[in-house]
Amino acid sequence: MTGASLPILAACNVTKAYTTGKDHALVAVENLSLDIHEGEFVCLLGASGCGKSTILNMFAGFTQPTAGEVLLRGKPIRGIEPRCGMIFQSYALFPWKTVRANVEFGLKMKGLARSERRARAAAFIEMVNLAGFEEHYPAELSGGMQQRVTIARLLAADPEVLLMDEPFAALDAMTRQVMQEELLNIHERSRKTIVFITHSIDEALILSSRLFVMSARPGRVKAIIANTLPTPRHISVQVSPEYGALKSQVWNLIESEVRRHGAQAAD
Amino acid sequence: MSDIVRNEAVNAAGVVSEGAPAPRVAAARRRRPHYLLAISVLSVVIVLGLWYLSTERGWVSPVFLPKPGRVLSEAAANLASGQLLTDIWMSTQRVLLGFLLAGAVAVPLGIIMAVWAPAKAAFDPFVSLLRPLPSITWIPLTMLWLGIGESQKIAIVFMGSWIYILLYTIESTKRVDPLLIRAARNLGAGDLDVMLHVILPGALPGIIAGLKVTLAISWSCVLSAEMIAAQNGLGALIWQGKDWGNLALVLVGMLCISVVVLLADKLAEMLERALLPWERHQRS
Repeated sequence: MTGASLPILAACNVTKAYTTGKDHALVAVENLSLDIHEGEFVCLLGASGCGKSTILNMFAGFTQPTAGEVLLRGKPIRGIEPRCGMIFQSYALFPWKTVRANVEFGLKMKGLARSERRARAAAFIEMVNLAGFEEHYPAELSGGMQQRVTIARLLAADPEVLLMDEPFAALDAMTRQVMQEELLNIHERSRKTIVFITHSIDEALILSSRLFVMSARPGRVKAIIANTLPTPRHISVQVSPEYGALKSQVWNLIESEVRRHGAQAAD
Repeated sequence: MSDIVRNEAVNAAGVVSEGAPAPRVAAARRRRPHYLLAISVLSVVIVLGLWYLSTERGWVSPVFLPKPGRVLSEAAANLASGQLLTDIWMSTQRVLLGFLLAGAVAVPLGIIMAVWAPAKAAFDPFVSLLRPLPSITWIPLTMLWLGIGESQKIAIVFMGSWIYILLYTIESTKRVDPLLIRAARNLGAGDLDVMLHVILPGALPGIIAGLKVTLAISWSCVLSAEMIAAQNGLGALIWQGKDWGNLALVLVGMLCISVVVLLADKLAEMLERALLPWERHQRS
């Protein structure tokens, strides 16, 4: 993870504007540049409406930038990019497929044989602690369990980057904490690059190796903070003095943006 | 790893709970309370009783309403002669053939129209023009083209059914969650995979709901066709009853239609449950 190596993901002077109904252009992201290196766990932190999801959608290839380029290993991303796997806030599991079939989906798309799919899916289901629930349908599971199925589904598909759009936002506080620890474990083991969106400072500090603080709309990178908290990390890090110092530093950066966005919304 | 993750339990309703309760609870198939069932039975008994009393006491002339006993004996006689079963079977056969043909045309066409705008643009004008036409308006043309045999009845059922199946199919195909399509593509799915694994299963519940509604419509189509020109079938039976002034026969025919359509509906529900195992857990 030296600065000299080619970043796995990069945004170069990216602007994304949406045209709304009355010929108004809504600039979600403006002239944004950032580099993400292999194996990093990056959090994009910002108030709602700062274009965080827009950036992620561009990395996944769901939308294209209006100006500038998003690059995966130096090559522009032009269409939906399976190498950048996305975890959606609303899970996006296939309701008509069992847990097993959901997890096997990416493997099936790669044309793996049935027995091979079975074995790999079983390993990932085990990894997210869902062994025994293979034949359940998503609707039979709680929110936390459904989110773990999506994580297993994505890990089984083996993308190079995991894009996570506020994946734990819909979970209750206790489940969220468990999921955060799980995700740290998964990152430890797989060393996958993770880009994680959140508007929770605590979540960003616990998870990230580096965090990007975003400005209010139009979204730009306001500050890049190296997260110096020790790894492997545990929830107990939250009571350390370094944590408090880092948190107030981030909050100072973000507070004015929250107020500014509030003022925009009030217009 | 925390205990919260490990302590997963399956409760009585089949919903897995961990720290927090599941957001969606599987639909527990609740039986109707007994007293409501009793009220339904009672209300049927009262109406039958009133029918019996009013005809026995001569409050209503048998010219307008035959006695319940007459209807029963008429049904028994027609059952014994085999005529009733033949009529039921003939109508059922026409409905099934016309309905299946309509489904075979309209479901694929609807899916294509929903996912490919040029196809929709090409067929939309005809759909708009044909939709307001009740199936009986096709009787003169179909008789001219096909005569008064089986194919004409089937054509009437077809013309009366296919548009509804088409509209339901288009609607439910369009309502498939675009997020799921995105998710599938993100996991490496191509166009055909998206169609097979996302669009088709996603649209299936809506398509089946549409088929169920349309099946009842198909029945009304076959009956009007049979009343106008047919040697057999329940529509013809009712029309014969009317021509002969045999109201009991008319009522037997009407009752048969109700029972057959109800049975068809139950059968469709069973088929639906077998085809959509995941739907049982959806929406409570």
